[in-house]
Amino acid sequence: MIKQTSAERLFTLTCCLVAAPRIGVSKQQLLLSVPGYQEADSQDALDKMFERDKKALRKTGVAIEVIDGEGSDNPDDTKYRIVSGSFDWPAGLELNTQKLQLLELAGKAWQHQTMRASARAAITRLKSLGYVQKSQDLEIFSPRILAKHASFSPLAEAISDGFKVSFDYQKPGAALSSRELTPLKLRFLEGQWVLLAAEGDEVKNFMLRRIMSKVKILPLPALPISAETVSAAEQSLVEFVTGQQVVLELEADSEAWWHFGAPADHLVTFNYMDKELLVEDLLELAIGLRVLEPLEVREMLSERLETVAVRHA
Amino acid sequence: MPKVELDGEEVFNLTLSVVGLVLKEGVMTVTELSQHFDVSPASILKAVRAITNSEDLGNYETHFYVDEDALEEGDVSFSQGQARLSEPPVLSSRQVSAIAAGLDYLASLPQFAQSRDLEELRTSLGGDITTAVPKTFTQTVELTVLRDALLAKTQLEIDYLNQLGERSSRVVDPLRIDFVGSRYYLRGYCHKNQGLRAFRVDRMASITSLDSAISNEGLAVEIPEDVFEGGQDQHLVKIQSTKSASEIFWNFPLNSEPKEVEGGLLGEIRVGNLRALGRHVARYGGDVVVLGPAEARQAVVDYAHSALAFQKGEV
Repeated sequence: MIKQTSAERLFTLTCCLVAAPRIGVSKQQLLLSVPGYQEADSQDALDKMFERDKKALRKTGVAIEVIDGEGSDNPDDTKYRIVSGSFDWPAGLELNTQKLQLLELAGKAWQHQTMRASARAAITRLKSLGYVQKSQDLEIFSPRILAKHASFSPLAEAISDGFKVSFDYQKPGAALSSRELTPLKLRFLEGQWVLLAAEGDEVKNFMLRRIMSKVKILPLPALPISAETVSAAEQSLVEFVTGQQVVLELEADSEAWWHFGAPADHLVTFNYMDKELLVEDLLELAIGLRVLEPLEVREMLSERLETVAVRHA
Repeated sequence: MPKVELDGEEVFNLTLSVVGLVLKEGVMTVTELSQHFDVSPASILKAVRAITNSEDLGNYETHFYVDEDALEEGDVSFSQGQARLSEPPVLSSRQVSAIAAGLDYLASLPQFAQSRDLEELRTSLGGDITTAVPKTFTQTVELTVLRDALLAKTQLEIDYLNQLGERSSRVVDPLRIDFVGSRYYLRGYCHKNQGLRAFRVDRMASITSLDSAISNEGLAVEIPEDVFEGGQDQHLVKIQSTKSASEIFWNFPLNSEPKEVEGGLLGEIRVGNLRALGRHVARYGGDVVVLGPAEARQAVVDYAHSALAFQKGEV
């Protein structure tokens, strides 16, 4: 009898599933084919082992389809097969030295343990695309993604597993509100983690730092959101940002002046996404810049400074 | 590179990937595979053993024929028997999220904003949603000089504005560039302070490369992961923040983990220079309050007053 480690058993199981005819293969056949299953002491242990392996395969991205025997009591009529498309890599995806380095950096950036493990597994798999020369060029860089929000893990999990979530959200200047959403993607915008999510049929952005409760993963499947809906939401965000412009006057040789690229005319104009975030950034450089436009941001800056002074008096 | 023991699922993942690569590239040595996949030679051998032991007992079929003699010589060579597996499955949704968010993060850094390779990767691996990140203010950080000096291991002279706004020049042995959140830091041995320091790249008024090689002190220094490690003279400052401003605790060395209290978090941070504290606290516009000591509260008041005076044009 051949002894198999769990990795060997999973690999043989995958080979057997891939080699199976389109109609699938029964559990009984799989149990006979994979040497590792013959080590199980009892039927119960064997069933548990098989269930565990199916789960492990699904988790690593080997999607298994179960085809029911249409009411038949014979367990041999239930067939398993790999979902078609599971091995279809995007056309034209090739590695080169630069891309490999970028992938390594993207993986290395995660401080978050589960994300780091997933990124590492992904990179290993991507490295099967080809043997490319490594370069030491980017080794001097150490990127660090700060994702310490308690909401990060449950949101990432719900996105991967396709579930809806609920949490309390604090929009600035509004009352705390309960939200039930289909989470779509976590993004890093303007130095902040932002959740792209669908509420009803509307796609919106939520800032992770404004999530005020624990994120609950609901036992409800994520709603299918069309690519058009998402791209319409993205487009409206771009338009919104394009319409929001701030003009600053900078004091020569101040930190603010250096920060904004030391412009000769002491003026800088740029777009912003969120006025609250903009004001935070400006508050740190407030001895050295004045807001010329918009007036609202100029007033917010002074009001916040007064509040800070009052709270520490 | 750390070469740690892999768990069962990791060996399985590696096995799938070794199959894909060797079938594509032909015979490869254990050493080449170990370097390419960044794992130990022992892990590569485990993966090869999984390929060898993948016989289908039920159908008396052999999925792969591994050349055992070649393996003894350190070469990995196999052919497909009855196997139809020739590459690993595509990435799982979890793997896609991890990689896509990591690539998004790199794309947010000015250094990579123009990279075509990065754009191609994001398009191929970005999942179903291709993000149109709206472009706002992009700092024009010139990292080329820093990178060249790091690779050549030569010194730099940096004209630097510290967090109090004081400008001074110093010779630095550059050691590493850290991107943290949305900021760049140069970690280096500072000859002025005779110690390891983190310099924010956006506070460098000018950078001059010197021909001199980095010093023995610079070569000997160990760089801790944390950019915000403390110096010698540290003040303990007690602060309270609302939940949405809790990120302030990520930006300072902590004396202890912050505690959850009604309406937010309470904790103690360690601060090198109290005069620099004001700006960090003022950032949150009253959502972060310094509880003590009194000098720390005063530093915040001073900052707010100076900034208000500047806003009113009194400075």
